[in-house]
This record gives sequence, structure tokens and C-alpha cells, in this order.
Amino acid sequence: MTSASTRSKRVLGLAAGTAVFALALAGCAPSTGGSTNSAGGGIIIGTTDKVTFLDPAGSFDNGSQTVQTQVFALLMNSKPGTAVVEPDLAAKAEFTSPTDFTVTLKPGLKFANGDDLTSSDVKFTFDRQATIADPNGPSYLLGNIASIDAPDDTTVVFHLKAANDQTFASVLSTAAGAIVDEEVFPADKVLPDADIVKAEAFSGQYQIKSYDFNNLISFEANKNYDGLLGAAKTSDVTLKYYTDASNLKLDVQEGNVDVAYRSLSATDVADLRKNDKVTVTDGPGGEIRYIVFNFNTMPFGATTPEADPAKALAVRQAAADLIDRQEIADQVYKGTYTPLFSYVPDGLTGATTVLKDLYGKDGKPDADAAKKVLDDAGVTTPVVLNLQYNPDHYGESSGDEYALVKSQLEATGLFTVNLQSTEWTTYSKERTSDVYPVYQLGWFPDFSDADNYLTPFFGADSFLVNHYTNDDVIAEIAKQATETDPAARQSEIEEIQAKVAADLSTIPLLQGSQVAVTGTDVKGATLDGAFKFRFGTLSK
Amino acid sequence: MRAAPFVLSTIIEEPMSTAVSPTIEPPLAGPAPRQRASRGGSTLWRYLVVRFLLIFPTVFILVSLVFFLMRITGDPLTTALGGKLPPDQLAERIHTAGYDRPILVQYFEFLGQTFTGNFGKSITDGQDISSLLLTHGTATLELAFYALIVAFIVGIPLGMVAAYFRDRWPDAVLRIFAILAYATPVFFAGLLLKLVFSVWLKVLPVAGRATTRTEIEFQSLPHPTGIYLIDAFQTGNPAVISDVLSHAVLPGLALGLLTAGIFLRLVRTNVIGTLSRDYVDAARSRGVTEYRLVRRHAFKPALIPIITVIGLQIAVLLGGAVLTETTFEWKGLGFELAYYLSKRDFVAVQGIVALLAVIVALTNFIVDIIAALIDPRVRY
Repeated sequence: MTSASTRSKRVLGLAAGTAVFALALAGCAPSTGGSTNSAGGGIIIGTTDKVTFLDPAGSFDNGSQTVQTQVFALLMNSKPGTAVVEPDLAAKAEFTSPTDFTVTLKPGLKFANGDDLTSSDVKFTFDRQATIADPNGPSYLLGNIASIDAPDDTTVVFHLKAANDQTFASVLSTAAGAIVDEEVFPADKVLPDADIVKAEAFSGQYQIKSYDFNNLISFEANKNYDGLLGAAKTSDVTLKYYTDASNLKLDVQEGNVDVAYRSLSATDVADLRKNDKVTVTDGPGGEIRYIVFNFNTMPFGATTPEADPAKALAVRQAAADLIDRQEIADQVYKGTYTPLFSYVPDGLTGATTVLKDLYGKDGKPDADAAKKVLDDAGVTTPVVLNLQYNPDHYGESSGDEYALVKSQLEATGLFTVNLQSTEWTTYSKERTSDVYPVYQLGWFPDFSDADNYLTPFFGADSFLVNHYTNDDVIAEIAKQATETDPAARQSEIEEIQAKVAADLSTIPLLQGSQVAVTGTDVKGATLDGAFKFRFGTLSK
Repeated sequence: MRAAPFVLSTIIEEPMSTAVSPTIEPPLAGPAPRQRASRGGSTLWRYLVVRFLLIFPTVFILVSLVFFLMRITGDPLTTALGGKLPPDQLAERIHTAGYDRPILVQYFEFLGQTFTGNFGKSITDGQDISSLLLTHGTATLELAFYALIVAFIVGIPLGMVAAYFRDRWPDAVLRIFAILAYATPVFFAGLLLKLVFSVWLKVLPVAGRATTRTEIEFQSLPHPTGIYLIDAFQTGNPAVISDVLSHAVLPGLALGLLTAGIFLRLVRTNVIGTLSRDYVDAARSRGVTEYRLVRRHAFKPALIPIITVIGLQIAVLLGGAVLTETTFEWKGLGFELAYYLSKRDFVAVQGIVALLAVIVALTNFIVDIIAALIDPRVRY
């Protein structure tokens, strides 16, 4: 007869066996780093961005552009490390009359599939953008093109509506000018990703070898590319998509990916800076974050019962006096953003520190100055500010950022801030419907030029729709856009910023920086003012 | 003499049955009865045909519900693009897409497309929904498979152990474990597992279905299935197989423990119930050991309710897959569902939900068949 203790041992043994079986499953696992490095010696890049459409006519977002930058060539481009625009597929590009911008293509250009790349493809590309005019695409950047001629295989003439458009070369260097194959792409609709890949309709430094939508894209060097960027240093590159930035951080830390590009959290970046296994590369960022005042509905705004432009200006000035940008950059963004004291960010022609000179004290808050400006204007304190921010469009840290802004404004007792948040779809509608008196916005440039930080904000058709209008500013913005003398243009850009800073339609807060984290064996990660991350510079 | 049942045994004390499962008679005493042989084949067929036909109204109701619930928030284009387009352009696109037609016209068109397997294209990224379902459905089924494996190998043996040690400390520990297993939110369990095994111990991967290099290798397969375990075997590379399995452990555990807790309680209850039957007492009086009684006489009858519970658990697993897949970047239907919900792409969402409804309905049908064939308590 079996004793009770023996029976217990048997049953416990059964349970232990089960546990062993379960662990055996895990036991066949290698360490996190994996042991399957046999699939090739290329470079693996991880990102949390997403592609929406590969077709340049159907998208204009960071995720899609990261891929488009590699596989579609441009007439004009910038070399890695600079933001200076120069010919890419073009041999020459210049104004041949005030309204004619003539591009001469290099001879013998071909797409990856062997199709000839001629001026006809170029004309087709831009006409197609205008025809499709996808709301998510970049066609709106091409509004100055009246018509295009292709008199021969290598010559393209852009007839412009406005003369001497100094931003046009920069526009050609955006995804709006990504050259597509007229033998493959339809003229009036966006081509599905799979069809583009299947037809190998690529003109850039790389072509796509295999495409698993928003999971894995394998690139290989396009031997037919003959543009500014030259041959890629590494032929095989793989782009791996992540949803959770913390997973990307762990994988780059463990060497499962060679490069992490967009978008690690500020905390993760700060942590990785201390890690010997990786190198953190920083670069200038075009992204800016700022506060917008609605000139109608802000305190003392034009449509409020106590409307008073002078008092409204004093409220804006006092707020500008109290904001501590450095504290926000350090505490919330751990240095992944830097203080922004002008409307045109650092690194671009015309950038100044005009707000540093006008408000606060040496870039730090100045409570006395804020109190004085409110007292002088006869504003009763505390001023109640209804401040709105968005938690899902400008990053998870927006909540912390605006909590700190509230704290800074309220610290002196001059303001009482009611902080509210709204999800993006509603937010984007309500901000243009005068619902928010003071609110958060962010901006990522369409192209790397000061004009892109002025015209959309303070020009005649401002997308802010905050009821701020200054005719002098509008006139000067139009003038600088056609000023052919670079020095004169720079002076005009600085003058515009001084005027806007006096009016304070918006308060710029922070300027983003680009960050790429690479394994220590990876070389060539280059982040520049063109805001394009080129895979072709990477090597191991 | 046994003590009174442990006070924690209140959640699952009787075998569970599913809403769509056959009628189950009260538990019979003794082993599988001989009366099964008397059940006519034609009756069984009629039962199965009825069950099969019930799939269609079930799916129809689910799909209709999805369609109308989605439309409560407005048309898909306004939902997805409302903040990006001027009203006139938005209206033009709505008209072009046909979303300004009467709702019933759209509904019948949607039904027609759904039953022909054409779910259209996603609004935000133009992906073919049918292809998306096929690609990501395999990932979800693979995860559900792993989860069921975990549920079986954890829940059933431990349930037997708990029954064997009824009302003693191993039983108490296992019942607390069971409660924790099915009461812990799956995303929390996932994060905890990641923290321990990936971040602290560094023995298992953080996320994904395989390393990037393995996925690259899969892309070169002549006939990839999308089921990574099969694809891994196709490569014939042990490192790749190991890589795929290692990535499956944590997601499988996170999702499988949810069901394992239920299995554990169910098996325990059924084994205890069987051990109190007359025929077991008779065997015990003949000197058959407790271990043998559990293993030989109580084990098989205790498994039968598991079959019916699986029908329900598939729905639970698919629901849990949304969180598990998101936590572990397991790019299946749940992952895509969460993504397209965040993008407010309701065309994609209704396609995914419709497929999930079909999977649940079909699974329940299969479970009904199996239950009818093996469970003597099923009447038809």
C-alpha cells in the first residue's frame, strides 16, 4: 500500500513535471539578443513611426517620409550634414526669368526597374500631385506652380505664379517633388503600396526588396540612382516598426536593432546617454512647440465684454515674462527640446533671440516685469486664463509640459490658470472655432526655410485662425519670399520676427532636437537641418 | 473524513456551459454510460445542422451591430479625416465614397461585401482589409494556440493537484493562484512578465513575434504561412525555431494564464465531484489508491467540461489578445484593431470585428460538435 507521503510526492512530481515542461519551452530560448544573426550583415533600424502611404501624393507625415526619402529621388536636395539645397537628379536648376524656374536633368537617368527617368516623368509627377490633391499629401506646397513644360528629355520649366519665389528650390526638395515613374503610377489616384513595390518604381538611393506594411521593410541599394547622395554605404538596410517606444529602447540597448530613429521618450534617451553600448546622436530639430492666443476670446479679447487691446497685450506680455523655457526643457523633456526665443528656430537663416531680449530677464522668468506690465495696463490680478492642450497629438509629455506652464504662471499669483485637455479630432475643430482662448500647438516644417515658420503663421491666410492680423507683417512676409538678395532677405526675416514678438500672437516655447541612437559599431548617423534621415550614410 | 470545502471555492463550483452549447444533463454517476450508443445518427446530424445554421444569424446579428454602432459616430470619413479637411472637400469625399446615401443602402452594400469577403480598404492608409485580416489573423490564431497550450499544461495538472490535496495547503495556494490568474488584467500580467523575464533576468525577448533577422529570413521563404512556428520549421534552422518559441513564451503565458486559472478551478471541481461518486467509493473500498483514483477515474470525466468552456474562452482569448498583442507588439488582429481604433478608421475596425465574430461563431460550432460526440450529458 502506498503511503500518503509517497502519494503526495507523486502528485507534486506531476506538478513539477508540468512546470519543467513549461519552462522547457522557455528553455529553448536564446538570450534576448537572439542567436539568429545569420540572416545577413545589413543594418537594422527601428522606429515607432508609421507609414500611411508610400505614394508621395498620398501622404506627408514623418513615417511615410522616412521611407520616401530613401526610395524617391528629388530634383533638389541637400547633402547629409547640411540644409543647403542643391541639385539632386538635376544637373542645373535656376531662375531663367522671374517666373520661370528651369531644371536640367542629368542625362541617362533611370528608375530602379530600368524605365527611363526623363523630363516627362518630372512633369507627370508635379501634374499628378496637383490632380490628386490628397488632403493628406503635400500638394498644397506646389500652389505657386502655374504650369510645367518639358521641351526635351532633360529640360523642365516650371512657370510660377509669383515671381522670384525664393522658397521654390526648397519646395522641390520636399516629398512633394519626389519623382515617380509615369509608366507605373496612375495620373489621378494614389497607387497602393504593394503595386509600387511590385513595379520597383523607385528613383532614390534605395529600392524596396520586401515590404511588410508597418512591420518590416527591407531595402537594397538602387544601382540606377545617379544623384547627389551617391552610392549607399550599406546595401542592405531593414526598417523595423515598433509601437511601444520602450520596446525599441530595450532592443537598441540589447543590440537587436542597430539604430533607433524616432521616437524614444525623453526619459529613455536620457537613460541611453549613460549606456556604453550605444551612441546617442543629436541634431537640430525643426519641430517647435508654442502657445497661441486667440485675439477674440482671450482675456480682454475683441469679442469679450471687457474688450481692451492694450490690456490683452499686457496679459500676453506678462505671460511671456513668466514662462521658464529652460525649466520645461530640463524637467519635462530631459534636454530633447531646447528653449526657443524666436519664431524661426536656431539653425535657420534669420533665427534670432528676440523674445529673450524683450521678455523675462536673460531668458529666465521675471515676476516684477510681469507685475509691472499688468499694473501699467490697469489689469486686475489674478488674470484667469483658460489654457487648453492636447494629450494625444503632440506626445505623451504635453500634460507634464502644460502642468508646468500652469505652475509657472500661477507662481506669482498674477494668473489663475484653468488647464483643460481635449483629444485631437475635437481639438483641431474647436481651436479654429474660437472655443479656446489660449492653447497649445506644435509645428513640424514642410521644408527647411525660415519662410515656413512665418507665412503659415502670420501671413495673409494664417492657419492659426486666431484673429491676429498685422498688415506690415503680411507685407514684409510677402517681400522676403521674393527677395533675391540673401542678406536683405535675412534682415527682413529678423524684422518680421521683431514685429511679431511685440504683438505676441504666439509665445514660442521649445525647439525639438532630432535624436538617433546607434550601436557603438554603427557609423555615419547624420541628423541635419534638412530633417531627413538618410540610411545611405550608415555603415558598420 | 474530509473537512468542509475551502471557503474560497465559490467562483466556479459547477461545470460551466456556454450560451451556445448543447443542453447538458445533470452529471452522471460513473464512467461514460452505455446509453450513448442508443442516440440515433440522424438525430445527431439534425443537431449539427441546426448548430451550423445558427452560425449565420449569429454572425449576421454581430456584423449588423458592428455596422450600426460604428455609424452612431457618423460616417467613417468624417470620423477619420474630420479635423484635416475643409468642410467642402470633406463633403465631396463623402459623396464620392457614397457615405451620404441612405443608411440602409449602405448597410445592404456592406452586408453584400462582407459575405463575399470584400471588406474594402482602410481609410487612413489604403490597406486592403481582406489581406490585412488574412495576414494578421494568422498571428492572432497562433497566439491563441500558444495561450491554449499554456492553459492546458498549467490549468489541468494543477487542477488535479488541487483536487487531490483538497482543503489542504496546496489546494489553498493553487486556488489563490487560480483567482489571481484570471482576475489579473492581461496587460498587467504582460508588463509584469516583461519586467521580470526580459528586463531583470534578460532571458526572454521583450516583444515581437521574432527577431528582425528571423523575420527577414521568413521573407525569403517560398511559401510563408504567416504562422511563424510553421515558417520557422520551414527554414529548418533550430536557432530560428528557438527564436520564434522564445518570443511566444511571454505573450502565451500572459494570455494563457487567464484561461489556465479557469481550467484549474473547473478541473478541481469536477475531479472532486467525480471522487465523491459511488463507483469511486467502491473502487476506493477495493483498495485503489487515491493517486490512481485521480489519475484513472476522475481525470477523463473532468476534461469534458473543458471542451465546452473552450468555446467561451476563445472569445475571451480574442478579447484578451487586443491587450496582449499591444503589450507585446504581437502584430495580430488585436494589435491592428487597437491601432485602427486610435486612428478612428472604422472601415478597418468593422472588418476586423466582423472577422472576430465569425471566428468565435465557428469555434463555438466546432466545440458543439466535439461536445456532442464525447459528452454523454449532451442531449439532442
